[in-house]
Amino acid sequence: MNYLQIWLAGARYSLIRTMMFRGDLLVWSLVELFWMGVNLLLIAVIYQHTSSIAGWTAYEMTLLVGTALLIQRLLMGFFWTNLFEMARNIRDGTFDFFLAQPGQPLFMASTRKLDPDGLLNSFVALGVVIYAARQLHLHPSVLDLLLYAGLIVAGLAVHYSILVISMSLTFWLSSAQGIESSYFTLSEFGRLPREAFRGVARLIFVWILPVVVVSNGPARTLLHGFQVGWVIWALAAAAVWVSLALLVFHRGLKRYSSASS
Amino acid sequence: MRATLNKYGHAFLLGLQSNLIYRWTFGVRSAFSLCNLAVVFILWGAAFAGSPTINGFTFHETLTYFVVLFALQFLVGAFNEDYQVSEEIRNGLINQFLLKPINYYAYRLSIFASARVVSGAIVLIPLAIAIPVLRHSLTLHFVPWRWLLAIPATAMAGAIQFTLAYCFGLLTFWFLEIQGFVILSMAVETILGGQMFPLDLLPHRLYQVAEVLPFYYQMYFPAAILTGRIDHLGALRGLLIQAVWVGLLLSLGYLLWRRGLRRYTAVGG
Repeated sequence: MNYLQIWLAGARYSLIRTMMFRGDLLVWSLVELFWMGVNLLLIAVIYQHTSSIAGWTAYEMTLLVGTALLIQRLLMGFFWTNLFEMARNIRDGTFDFFLAQPGQPLFMASTRKLDPDGLLNSFVALGVVIYAARQLHLHPSVLDLLLYAGLIVAGLAVHYSILVISMSLTFWLSSAQGIESSYFTLSEFGRLPREAFRGVARLIFVWILPVVVVSNGPARTLLHGFQVGWVIWALAAAAVWVSLALLVFHRGLKRYSSASS
Repeated sequence: MRATLNKYGHAFLLGLQSNLIYRWTFGVRSAFSLCNLAVVFILWGAAFAGSPTINGFTFHETLTYFVVLFALQFLVGAFNEDYQVSEEIRNGLINQFLLKPINYYAYRLSIFASARVVSGAIVLIPLAIAIPVLRHSLTLHFVPWRWLLAIPATAMAGAIQFTLAYCFGLLTFWFLEIQGFVILSMAVETILGGQMFPLDLLPHRLYQVAEVLPFYYQMYFPAAILTGRIDHLGALRGLLIQAVWVGLLLSLGYLLWRRGLRRYTAVGG
């Protein structure tokens, strides 16, 4: 089974479909752009009144926020709609469509469509990172850039896994209502520097839920170069969360009962 | 008058019953809003670490502002009223209101009020958890004139929140899908409603612009009165502008409804 070919066919179909509804693409791209602007404006306003947040300067924070947004936009571009549709299909019993396909059900369900508006805005987020890096006069080596890209992929894997686990809860619960807003709340922690967390918050959001690590890791790689501790931490978090997501999904799949006649 | 009150009183009671079904949704939402408060606490705590005051306000005063905002969101904030109006138009459910002596706006407002009674009661639970933890950090003093002016400001904030959502819902007469517009406007409201940061932190010119827009009066204004971010003259002037916005938005809602109905086609028997 050539999964790449399947994915490319899905991507082609998504692009053709998007071009049929160009107005929608424009509106949704603007929606995502505005929300990114909201986050950047918050940073700009706070730094009008202070010079440092947990030891991070304005442009360092911009780089961190840009990195967190980049991971989030990639998640939205590649997986968001698919995973929400997966939850809906599980709930109404139409997940059979994916089970009947000749491939891994989780792969087939999570890669069916692309959201070009999310992908377009990931370039804007990357632009924010590049702008901040230039303002900070950073000159990362090729290795640092490769590491940054690798850590972004690890971050994407963690966010994807958290979302798969949340949506897989539909196998047990009748509704996944509220998961969307809870994910966004969780992702807000990823835009904060690790040094800002103290006590229980550090335990939960840095150690247990790695949303802070996966955004701080790549940002620190650009700022301070290769740091072995952060790289191991981010990669280990990705491995653990992907395994956990696969486990929960397959456990849930055993409970699935079709609703077709 | 009594008959009218009775009519919408019944709509309110029906709304109360149907909203109680969604008590868990409100509960989950308020619980996650507590996480938003945690983000605020961590971010602003770190920002204040370098300076004891920001724009003349301490960390505790800023935190109090966000806690008040959190409560206001559940007391007067519009949740999904825009989608409800949109659904009723798209599915032809407004037909029944066209045939009965009932004003659609007043009917939806009654339902909105009942939903806020339920969500306002449910928000007491996370507040009961948060306040003991934050009690040393909160600085909400009882200043009679502030509480007195905050009552009309909060009521009108609710009217603005609902009427804006109602107007967005009415856009369904012209557009099949309003979700994009709603989320786009949410981004603007989040910034200009003071939900990301107290608006007085904006550069003075931008603050002056925000002050004449309706978003300022949706959430920031009552919170600013209660937490001492506005003096009494500013509060009185604000109440006046807020009343003008309520009037303007009501007129817009009326206009959209009248114009929209001309385009509306009712199908079914």
